[in-house]
Amino acid sequence: MIKIVKRDQPSRAIFFLTPILAIFLTLVAGGLIFYIIGFKPFEALKFFFIVPIADMYGFSELLLKATPLCLIAIGLSFCFKSNNWNIGAEGQLTFGAIVSGGVALIFYEQEGFYILPIVILAGAIGGMLYASIPAILKTYFNTNEILVSLMLVYVSKLILDYLVVGPWSNPEGFNFPETRQFSDSARLPILFEGLRIHAGIFLALAAVVASWFIFYKTYLGFQMKVSGFSLKTAKYAGYKGKKMIILVFLISGACAGLAGVGEITGPIGQLHREVSPDYGFTAIIVAFLGRLHPIGIIFASLIVAITYLGAETAQIFMQIPKYTGQVFQGMILFFLLASDYLLFFKIKFTGLKK
Amino acid sequence: MNTNLKISNVTKIYPGCVANDNVSLEFNSGKIYALLGENGAGKSTLVKILSGVIIPDEGKIYLNENNLKLNSPLDAKKNDIGMVFQHFNLFETLSVFENLIIDSDEQRKSLREKIDSIMKKYNFSIDLDIPVLNLSAGQKQKVEIIRCLIRNPKVLIMDEPTSVLTEQETSELFLSLKKFSEEGILIIYITHKLKEVMQLCDEVAVMRRGKLVSVSQIKNENIESLANKMVGQNLKTIKKRKAKTSSDQLINITNLNFISEDPFETNLNNINFSVNRGECLGIAGISGNGQSELFQVLSGEILSDKNSIEYNKNYIGDLNPQERREYLMAFSPEDRLEQAAIPQMAIFENVALNNFKSSNFFNNGLINENKIKEHSKKIISDFNVNTDNIELKSQFLSGGNLQKLIIGRELITAPDLLICFNPTWGLDVGAINYIHETLIKINEQNKSIILISTDTDELLKLSDKISVIHKGKLSNIMNADEVTSEKLGILMGGGN
Repeated sequence: MIKIVKRDQPSRAIFFLTPILAIFLTLVAGGLIFYIIGFKPFEALKFFFIVPIADMYGFSELLLKATPLCLIAIGLSFCFKSNNWNIGAEGQLTFGAIVSGGVALIFYEQEGFYILPIVILAGAIGGMLYASIPAILKTYFNTNEILVSLMLVYVSKLILDYLVVGPWSNPEGFNFPETRQFSDSARLPILFEGLRIHAGIFLALAAVVASWFIFYKTYLGFQMKVSGFSLKTAKYAGYKGKKMIILVFLISGACAGLAGVGEITGPIGQLHREVSPDYGFTAIIVAFLGRLHPIGIIFASLIVAITYLGAETAQIFMQIPKYTGQVFQGMILFFLLASDYLLFFKIKFTGLKK
Repeated sequence: MNTNLKISNVTKIYPGCVANDNVSLEFNSGKIYALLGENGAGKSTLVKILSGVIIPDEGKIYLNENNLKLNSPLDAKKNDIGMVFQHFNLFETLSVFENLIIDSDEQRKSLREKIDSIMKKYNFSIDLDIPVLNLSAGQKQKVEIIRCLIRNPKVLIMDEPTSVLTEQETSELFLSLKKFSEEGILIIYITHKLKEVMQLCDEVAVMRRGKLVSVSQIKNENIESLANKMVGQNLKTIKKRKAKTSSDQLINITNLNFISEDPFETNLNNINFSVNRGECLGIAGISGNGQSELFQVLSGEILSDKNSIEYNKNYIGDLNPQERREYLMAFSPEDRLEQAAIPQMAIFENVALNNFKSSNFFNNGLINENKIKEHSKKIISDFNVNTDNIELKSQFLSGGNLQKLIIGRELITAPDLLICFNPTWGLDVGAINYIHETLIKINEQNKSIILISTDTDELLKLSDKISVIHKGKLSNIMNADEVTSEKLGILMGGGN
């Protein structure tokens, strides 16, 4: 007989083990899917998860993809820890990219050390402005931040579309939907010759350290934590709960905006239609897979980044559509949520009963 | 026709707690049975088993020799077991009749006739076509009882039915219950109020820590003997010292109003009172009459006109709770788990919720964990919180220990005024005694208390002055030694 028993208290070990279990189950299920559609499961998984990062170039691509995921997920962890469901990071990323790209275009013929900081700052501010919309509507008009932040994603994508096709399109660009190239001063430096990994990774690492410090060491972080658990308690303690909500949205928006800056000022160096392959949505999975903990988010962003690379390799070598990557991302989240059940319940084998 | 209900060897185990330990009981119609015990003694579990809400791990239930399989509340209903819960399960915005027809299979017309005849028979007068939210607590309870009676129950279980009733409503309820009993309905009455057991019941079963400790005839018992059985030890009685006559005014409320945008909250209407140093002002009332709003206005969770609250010669109506704490006020809210503490956080983190500038918990925006932990250890030892691990999540403290922690957190900073709301709600007798002793001690140190409580006995025991809140209005302030619980009951019900 198998019995499901409620745990006396959620297990700390299980809390960190379930993400690993979820990844394992994803691999098994992924292998099974490959088998069903007629591939050798182990070979396919090898193409998906090992081949892409087998050389230096692949590894740098991994970091390149993990950077925005990590940055956005860190920002989202502020929101999610305080029970604010910002799922519009993709929109905040896009809007951050629009604002920083706009600023970079102003300086397109100029050089100077001061340009890059302004461009970066503009991206952060753009993300914050865009995130402030659901935050203010939530705190002062009681709207649901899930709906508002999600719908704003499509608004920002349409704005971007309009700009790169219309007013901002490159006059010498043969009507391609893209802007001029930014000047070198407006671009994040590439770290190694021949690889695409750029200085944006330092922004992500700085965000990791800062979020750890704010959450575990400061009064501000303590107030966010309390407000997240219970607004009633926050009110009773005398914290300004509404300001706290707006603040976490702003932090989250700034991080997403910075990720947007990295996408356009890094290797690409111009604004174009597809700024992000849904990093803003995938980062939600990263945040939860990393248990909203800064260190966990680093590992989670690397793992999820592989699914992007693997999908590309698989498309090239096995002629599988690259959307398989999203299938894997979906499975990770699915298995993570399912195995979270084990946090609160345990399975007990009681032997046969008469 | 006689009804015989038998509980045989029922056991229900929860992780870390045996809620019912091999309980066997037998009931026969024609009598009213009391099931007596402290909070956590296991009486609610037993009753939930009888009503199909919980399935026991072991044991059987027989109704007239038939073994009942109670897997859901519906099974209980089908087997003619009716239950009135402590918290009403009514839709506030629907009419009384709509509420009654929801779980009935009968036609509107025949049901209406049936309800009319029930109301006539037992002298209930309730307008069936007004929304439930316009009813008093006593009337809502009658609706719940009618809902059971429609099904012609053999057994009627009442779970702590008087906790929301006035004295008058309580005696009406008792009359009805006696009538039901005469008609052959078996009545099981769950309570921890000894006086009611003596008034109403014929037999009493006492439970303690999941076990049945005694079954006896009421005529062989008295209040003291039952109390000792219930608690398992001889209780010492607490005596409040005679009130010192102090004329040094600490807090003065004038013309305080609060109009809520939320239709489920109560507006406060022209509240005026003052409290002197060393005095305890009790505010009585049936819950939902504005106590929660009054507490929030006093604590600063709801801001009011600056001049409406004068405290120690400062006007503080527009200050938030944290700013008020700096003036040496302390607050203990009603809801321990959702407001006064955060169950998912460690004990020491909960201690940091009450933060003074001078306590240095947070320096330059950084958490000073050592300071907080040091402070927490002191609270735990000074206020007898039964743990030595301050990193324990507070959800693992019992209600009593959590309340000691909260009261300790608020008191260790030596405030001049403590405002507390139902401080002993849901606690066992030992913890209640401890909290009461602590509150008396505060008064003896010339500090003041505003005690908002729905427990009349507690108010009479601790207060120097008492006022009653009814529909957001405060009655005249009376001296506690001139007030009786009957008088309070009348005022609580809105009478004069």
